[in-house]
Amino acid sequence: MMTPSSLPVVLMAVAVVVASSPTAFGFVSPVPASVGVVPDGIRPSLRPRSSSPSKASSTTTTTTTTTTMLNSHKLVLIRHGESTWNDLNIFTGWADASLNERGISEASQGGRLLREGGYVFDVAYTSVLKRAIKTLWIVLEELDLMYIPIVNTWRLNERHYGGLQGLNKQETVDKHGKEQVLVWRRSYDVPPPECDKSSEYYPGNDPRYANVDASDLPLAEPQDHRRAIHAGMGGRDRTGDKGRVIIAAHGNTLRALVKHLDDISEDEITGLNIPTGVPLVYELDDDLRVIPNPNAIAPLRGMYLGDLEDVRARIAGVANQTK
Amino acid sequence: MFAAARSALFAASRNGARVSPNARSLPAALFQTADKHTLVLVRHGESTWNLENKFTGWVDVPLSPKGHEEVIEAGRLIRDSGLLPDVAFTSLQKRAIRTLWHVLEETDRMWIPVTKAWQLNERHYGALQGLDKQETVDKYGKDQVLIWRRSYDVPPPVVDRSSEHHPGNDPRYAGFDFPDEWTESLKTTLERVAPYFEENIAPVLKSGKTVIIAAHGNSLRALVKGLDGIGEDVIAELNIPTGTPLVYELDDDMRPIPQEGSFGPLNGRYLGDQDAIRARIEGVKNQTK
Repeated sequence: MMTPSSLPVVLMAVAVVVASSPTAFGFVSPVPASVGVVPDGIRPSLRPRSSSPSKASSTTTTTTTTTTMLNSHKLVLIRHGESTWNDLNIFTGWADASLNERGISEASQGGRLLREGGYVFDVAYTSVLKRAIKTLWIVLEELDLMYIPIVNTWRLNERHYGGLQGLNKQETVDKHGKEQVLVWRRSYDVPPPECDKSSEYYPGNDPRYANVDASDLPLAEPQDHRRAIHAGMGGRDRTGDKGRVIIAAHGNTLRALVKHLDDISEDEITGLNIPTGVPLVYELDDDLRVIPNPNAIAPLRGMYLGDLEDVRARIAGVANQTK
Repeated sequence: MFAAARSALFAASRNGARVSPNARSLPAALFQTADKHTLVLVRHGESTWNLENKFTGWVDVPLSPKGHEEVIEAGRLIRDSGLLPDVAFTSLQKRAIRTLWHVLEETDRMWIPVTKAWQLNERHYGALQGLDKQETVDKYGKDQVLIWRRSYDVPPPVVDRSSEHHPGNDPRYAGFDFPDEWTESLKTTLERVAPYFEENIAPVLKSGKTVIIAAHGNSLRALVKGLDGIGEDVIAELNIPTGTPLVYELDDDMRPIPQEGSFGPLNGRYLGDQDAIRARIEGVKNQTK
């Protein structure tokens, strides 16, 4: 917001006033001359109503000008934190588990890192699962950006774990053997067993997918799901159009996205762990291709925020856990 | 439930109509569900500036701790009523957005599409924004302040673009062209609320979706004035209690269907302890609001 001390900057800005009709948004001037009081003071030049939103916003403030210009092609990814089902060691997939206390604080921490980095967003994308939605809400609250539009899409949902959803991971190993379970979890293109259409986990039985074509609804999914790329690239394309995008999603959907962004091989992506709650920042050029960041941790070309040693440890450490 | 009623129940709910889970009212519900559209209104809870007794308007203050609690309770009332919002609308102001988020969390509908619109904002308070209410009375006199607050069509003094309160200086309004001088009365608030409802919300209701709107005292006043055909004098005095879900059933022409339990000039029905609600409405009438 503009304070009186930033007026000189505004005065120096190019002032091309495009007068638009007051009825453009249905407004009718309400002020009778007798009541209106125009305070004394300098009338600043109006900022240009040009077609480029980043230019417009960069002239209205001083403190965030630089950040705004730099942020104009930024895409930030953030993976939701721990859910109540993580504790229970259950295959979650599309089951709508909530964040637990730890997951909430991970999201707050992620939001704080973004706030400290001066990040601003114009639009947000997330899945229809509450652990990602809540993560996004916490981040936006932290950034004081609760007013930006949020797009919820099932295409950013976590991988659907088919007939394994709701099952305890250890029980599943006991039942099917360690090798088989490892194949289902780690293989790039082998899906788990399908869930039954009468199951509570069949998306056709959930009202939030009522508008999705039945042929698009999965009964199980391997790691490779193009749908996430579809949704994410829609987001990426927005960065060129109206600036700065944040995507709050899940482990496997973010894997799909970074595989696409960074052209990572199938073998490398199956083992790649994206730590929860750590913002991952991609900078894109005008052709919306990734500009590799010098602080990136290979094979990614985007940069994690926060303590990088800590992040490296988390990437390595979690790879050994059952996920 | 006998088979015929049960299949009718499923048919009705597939059409998007909301059928009461209460078996006792089931036969009546079967007749009513066909052309009934459900609209739930929630006014945001207490804000930090309510506590500080300042004119707020478009200033983006958060909910107070009590405000959070109020609207969590609102969410629970909606959940317990069996109403399931399909689509949500709110303003660009965090006290309303946060209210909506609490309600969606309590009703387990966090995934529904949410549209945020400045047209649902609180009324802009012009040059009074940020001022302490008592100081304003001291400065301008009680009568003048009463006119600015209570009249239907006399707005407070304008702000111009040099003011931090002019929307041109807030990036969230970057896509919109506001005039150089800005302020609002309840009348002009209605002039931006009503068309927004017609163009964006009514079609959603007519398509069979249950809509929830989380908004502000004056934007909701503007809305119910239109829905219930309330006169200017009455609407300026009408208080819609905070954090209290107000449920409308509308016909295909968006006219409210009279409901049992509604009172006063509204055809909407509040959820919750009816006596407590009435007491609140009466109580606030006597305060300086």
